[in-house]
Formats: sequence, structure tokens, C-alpha cells
Amino acid sequence: MTLFNKSALALSLSMSLALVTSAVKAETIAIIHATVHTATEQGVLKDASVVIEDGKIVAINPLLPTADTIIDAKGAILTPGFIASMNDLGLVEIGAVASSRDAYEKEADVVFDPSLAYNPKASSVPFARKGGITRNVVSSGGGEGIFAGQTFTVDLSGDWDSILAANTGLVVALGAKEEGSRAAGMQQLIHKLEDAKKAQAKKSKTKKTAEDDSEVPSREDEIIHAVLAGEKPLIIDVDRASDILHLIKLKQDLGIDLILVNAADAVLVADKLAQANIPVVIDSMRNLPESFDALHNSLENAGKLANAGVKVAIALPGDSHGIYALRFSAGNAVANGMNYDDALAAVTANVADIFHLDSGRIAVGKSADLVLWSGDPFEFSSKVQKMWIAGEEQSTDSRQDKLRDRYLHKTAMPEAYSR
Amino acid sequence: MAKVMPSLVAVALSTVIVGCSPAQQDPKITINTNPYPSTYQILPNSTTLLKNAIVLTGTGERIDDADVLIKDGKISAVGQQLSAAGAVVIDAKGKWITPGIIDVHSHLGVYPSPNAESHNDGNEMTNPVTAEVWAEHSVWPQDPGFNRAREGGITTLQILPGSANLIGGRGVTLKNVPATTMQAMKFPAAPYGLKMACGENPKSLYGSRNELPMTRMGNMAGYRTAFIQATEYKRAWDKYDADYAAGKNPVAPERDLMKDTLKGVLEGDILIHNHCYKAEEMAMMIDLGKEFGYHAGTFHHAVEAYKIADLLAENGNCAAMWPDWWGFKLEAYDMVLENVAMVDAVKNSCAVVHSDSGVTIQRLNQETAKIMHNANANGFNLKAEHVIGWITANAAKSLGISDKTGSLEKGKNADVVLWNTNPFSVYAQAEQVFIDGAKVYDRQDPAYQAQSDFMLGQE
Repeated sequence: MTLFNKSALALSLSMSLALVTSAVKAETIAIIHATVHTATEQGVLKDASVVIEDGKIVAINPLLPTADTIIDAKGAILTPGFIASMNDLGLVEIGAVASSRDAYEKEADVVFDPSLAYNPKASSVPFARKGGITRNVVSSGGGEGIFAGQTFTVDLSGDWDSILAANTGLVVALGAKEEGSRAAGMQQLIHKLEDAKKAQAKKSKTKKTAEDDSEVPSREDEIIHAVLAGEKPLIIDVDRASDILHLIKLKQDLGIDLILVNAADAVLVADKLAQANIPVVIDSMRNLPESFDALHNSLENAGKLANAGVKVAIALPGDSHGIYALRFSAGNAVANGMNYDDALAAVTANVADIFHLDSGRIAVGKSADLVLWSGDPFEFSSKVQKMWIAGEEQSTDSRQDKLRDRYLHKTAMPEAYSR
Repeated sequence: MAKVMPSLVAVALSTVIVGCSPAQQDPKITINTNPYPSTYQILPNSTTLLKNAIVLTGTGERIDDADVLIKDGKISAVGQQLSAAGAVVIDAKGKWITPGIIDVHSHLGVYPSPNAESHNDGNEMTNPVTAEVWAEHSVWPQDPGFNRAREGGITTLQILPGSANLIGGRGVTLKNVPATTMQAMKFPAAPYGLKMACGENPKSLYGSRNELPMTRMGNMAGYRTAFIQATEYKRAWDKYDADYAAGKNPVAPERDLMKDTLKGVLEGDILIHNHCYKAEEMAMMIDLGKEFGYHAGTFHHAVEAYKIADLLAENGNCAAMWPDWWGFKLEAYDMVLENVAMVDAVKNSCAVVHSDSGVTIQRLNQETAKIMHNANANGFNLKAEHVIGWITANAAKSLGISDKTGSLEKGKNADVVLWNTNPFSVYAQAEQVFIDGAKVYDRQDPAYQAQSDFMLGQE
């Protein structure tokens, strides 16, 4: 990357701008001569420039890009930072070390908030950045019951303040059970929502006569009410098509914001999902008939759902240490019939839409989560050249690089002496 | 067996010295080492000429605009401007050809799809040493995963028992052809493998039952005890054989299925496949082999192999590795993305990429691509024609079948994959797959897309 000094003109412009606005001005960055995959209706902008200020994208292709730092992309591809979702990243350091994992909670319920366990310093976080991932919607692994607590959103800076929002969606796991009938879980969910709705209706009728109703709703009630009001998405991990049909009806009856995760056999009811405007978060690499709920797993499913009009996000649900490979999942989806732009949206704009994030697109006003790639972002031969999270440049170096270098460059002394 | 000659001499000598009559001997007791023999038959095939492809031979060579001629199930020629009368000609211009892909570590058939308690047949978790069990006796040939793997170019694969036990049992090498019996998939004359496991799995399973092993030192004690028993057993059989050959009428030792397998290891007929992540444990397993006079074989899941790449090469051990699996156990914490490349960089090395997964077995080419490109971004200069060996020639070497498959050399089995593009691209797909010259998969032709009985008619 070549860093250009600002031109005399740019200098004078920015100085005068600084006088107008304020004395303290955040550093601005302009990325010029980039091939910008906007993940918007603008599509791909060739030889384009993107200007970042205060962590936001403030201009695309301004007449004269000016900034404190100008980066010449020399034609390289710039994409929105990729957004992972529905995984355990930062909740588990090592899967088999009980004291290092906080993803599973036996007694997880509606109010369970796993963000309180998030460790932005987990060694898996910088590793995930190698995959151009800038944000993540984290979910717990749930517990014994159907309710798996709530999702939270983080940026992948690894900074102490990287939790952007907690309690963003309610997670439910349905379908095949080790013991008992799946019907019980489905029924529990339906009853929980219907009963809460009835109680609300009853309350609003009686409220006129009891204006000083000072009863404090329980935390659980608040969450369920937010779900019923469509303010908080209900995120359901489910595979079998017959279960999905019940959930489509639930959405139609209650008008909730419903997101399906995994949804192996969603492809059987793709048209109905599209019609009901229900998005699907899919692991596009699943293609074995893993269970009787998932007989239709196929590498083609991501493309088939997208072609049917379903909003698709590609994810590695339940993973933690391997999510850097998200971009390869998108590439495989393309190899198996998904439109390239759809696949890019499935790791950027669609994820943002589904989980209500202010990133995932290269558009004015969006968070400046950006990745500059050495080539096609879905290819093994490409790597992250530079990346920014909210305008801050990030490193992709991780503990793994240090280990590699220690053993690659041997000295007369034991490896332990090299950093 | 090289034993025949000396024993004949022994017989001749003994008649002179002892002078006793062979007629007084009971029939010789011998152990049948192949009681479940292969019934594999090559599928219908014809002389086939693939024209004008980019060919990666598996021996480190890349030949552009090259043809591959398949005749009588074997590679007949690889070169330019080939022709053959009556051959089926396939235009492979712009496409790539590699040897059939080999996975040295699979549990297809023993942990099949769908995942069901009825079919969880991969781990005999009843004793830390179960050398008496054979994975082939668990294989469900209708596992739909075999077909998915074939669509990814897998022509040969070793099915191993799981890693719960110190010595988990025999593995079996299969040809990835659709069949109704295990024997019909069994790779003719491939040596058996023996699954061993280091580290966390055995000690945590048996430790939780308050049984040995509870610790890594318990692991070592477990292997050593088993091989001491096997050594005694072998000695007893050797003595029986020698005495019999000497014209005596000895009583044969009592058969022991567990020790039969370990005796096969000591005699070099059964190859070790050792689930072993950590550098210090691999080093001890190499010494364990020396202690009892067998070769420590291939280390699987060798996440820390890069730390002892020299040691592995010096001792002739293959290391079978993933590109990027880590963090699920403490013994898988020190992963580096360049592990395979670092192992491979040493002279006389044997780096292998394996799957241990019904999903990634379908894309060992992509797993290899991850490693190549990561390594090249960090100072290596690896080329497609070299890294293809990690999933072909080196894998065949690990399984003891490199005289039969793993490269596109004249006379080798015609196990061949035709790819639509560079196999190390994320967009690459196997278009046609051949096993022993027979087309077993064609992406364009449903007549060559096998479907398991299980999947038939599922709606």
C-alpha cells in the first residue's frame, strides 16, 4: 500500500473545513482507486474512492477525495467487513476445558444474557479477523430447555468496549430432541407467546379503570413483549420443514420478526418462507443427511433459497474457532449455484438487515467496517490486505503467526527464547 | 512371507540331527490373516483418453496440454499428443486432472449419516486396548457420505475406529465404489492399519471411570503393557513355528484376537495410524516403536508436527494434518495455518492432509489450497503440482499402497479426477471421477451419480 501525503489543495480544504466545524477533527481516511463492492443496489464501483470520518463512511466518489491519510488501493477489491453470526466466538477459549467455556448454560432461559461472559481478548478473535470478519452476532449454545437466551453484537476489534449491543434477539432451539417429543418444545413456544399476548390484551382493557397500575413487568415479560411488538427478533434454530411450517404460521398469526437458523430442509418450503418474509441463516457447507430433520442438506441450498427470494445469511452456526473460513463458505455457495452478489450480501448486507446492524454496506452513513482484499474475497489465494472496524485500522496478526515464526526461524537457542 | 525359506532349511537340518519323522506331527496351525477377503470388482470400463488438460501427476510434475490414457484399468500413458484406437475420448481442454484423492482418516460407514445411536459403531469404548476390533466389521456401505466424498474426488479412503482407546482396533482401506458389502469395497492387498490414540481422549474417558489411563503416563503404561503381551505372544508363535519346522510336534499357542493384531504390527504387516496432536507425545510414540521393534507409522491430527518436523522426517513418519482445526481441545491449541507446509519443507518428509470429517472429506483439495496459499503468503513458494501430493502420493505412502495408487504413473491403478478448473480454487468441482479406469462419477450425467439405498425415495 502506498500512503500519499495529502496534496496542498487537500490540506487547505481540510484546514478551512476544520475552521468551520471544530478545532478538534477526527482523522479522515480516503481509500482511492478501489474496486468497491458496495453490497447495495449500486453494485460494483470501479476505480472508486471511499472516505471515512469519525468511524463512518462519509463519502463515496466525492469529486475530490481529501483526507489526512490517502490509501491507493491500486484497483484492489474493497468490501464491507464480513459479518459472522450465531456462533460462540469469545464465549469459549478451548472447547474441552470446562473453566474456559461459557457458551453452554444448562439453565439458560429467556432472560439469559451471555454477553456478560464475552471475552474480547479470546485468542480466537484476532484469528477470525484473518477472514475479513469485522462484526459478529454472538449466540450462546443454549441449555436444556428450548430458550437459549439472547444474542449480542460485537465488533471484532478485540477492544474492551467491543460489545456494541446486548440482548438483541431471543434464541430458541426447536426440532428433534434426545428425549421426548418435539411437539412439547413447539407447544411451549407457541403458548408462551400466545399467553403473553392474551395477558397484554386483557391488561389494556382493564387499564382504563386502573390508571395507576404500577406493577413492574418481569424481565421475561419485557422480552416476550418486545418480541410480540416486533422490536426484538425471535431467532429459531430448526431444521425440519414441518417444524418450519408451524413457525411460518406463528409469524403470520402474531406479526413477529422471525429469523430461522440452520433450516436444513427450508429448501422444501422456500417459496412460503419468501412469501412470509422470513430470512434464513444457513451453514452453506452442510450437505450430509445428518439427521432425519436434515435429509435435504445440500451445497446448493443457499443459492436455491436466495433464488426463491429468501433473504439468506451464510454463517457457521455454533462454531467459534473456525469462523475465519466464512468467506470460503460463500465461495462454495457460488460454486454451487448462488449468484456472486447474493453470496456477498449473505455475508454482509443481508446479515446486517436480518440482525438490524448499521454496517454491512459501503454507503454513506454506514459504519466504516471495510476490508481491502488482495483478490477475490472468496478465494483461497486472496487475503486481507487492510481492514478497518469503525474506521480504525486492524491487524490480522494472531498468536498462530507468532508460533509459526518461532519455529520457522530457528536459532542456536531453544525456541522458547524467541518472541 | 520370508519365513518359508529358513524353516525349510530348519526341517532339513532337523531330520539329520534329530532324525524324528514328520509323520508324527499334528496338522500345522496357522492364523488366517485375511478372513474377510476383498471381493472388489472393477466396474464396467473402457479405454479412455482425456485430452489437453493440465495434469498434476502426483509425483511433483505439472504437464500442460497433456493427455491421460487409461487402459485395462491402469494408467497407460501421460503425455502430449497421445492416441489410442477405440478409446472414449474426453475433451479436457482448460480442465485439470489429478490422481484420485485419498483420505487416510475417515469414519464414513462407522459414524455414518444420519447420525443415529443405531449406527454409532466407531468407538469400542469398553476397554483402553481393543486391538481385537476391526473397523471393517462396523462399516455401513449405504452411508450417503461415501457418495458425497466421491463427488469430491475421493477414490480411496481408510476407515478408522475412533480415538477413545489407547489402541482402538484395525482400520480398513476401501475403494470408494458403491457396494452392498464392505468386502466389495475393500482395497485388494492393502495392508491393515492399527488405530492408536495419544493424549486427552483415552485418559479422560477411562480416567472419568477411575480406570487406567487417567493420565498421560497412564497412556504410556497402557501401550507398553499391551506390547509386552504382544511380544510374548509373538515369541510363543515363533517358537511354535520353529519347533514345528524342526520336525517337533509342538502345541500351538492359544489364539488371542487382540494379540494377533499387535503381533501383525510387530511383524510389520499392520501399519500404525496414531491420533497424536502434541510434539512431545509424538516423540515418545516414536521411541515406543523402537522399544518394541515396530515403526511408529503415521501421526494423525498432528497439530504440533511443525515443532518436530525434523524428527518426523528422520524417523520416516508421515504426519496427517488439518489446515485449520484448533481450539476444541487444549492439545489442539497450538495450531498454525502453515503446519503442513512446515512439515513438508524438511527433506524426506511425508506431509498428508486428512479430513476426519464427512464434510471436509468432500473438499480435501480446498483444505490443501488453504495451506498452500497461507504458506505462500508467509514466505513459502509451494506449487499446485507439489501440494497435490499431500492428498495423493503421500497419503498412499501412509497407507502402504503407493505401489498401486496415488500418482498418474504408467502401470498404476487408473484412479483419476477431472476437475472443471484449478482444483485449488474455491470454485473447483470434480466433473468426472474414475476408479481403476471405471467412471464412477459424472457431474453432468445422472447415470453416474450413485445414490445410497437410504436416500432413495426420501421426500
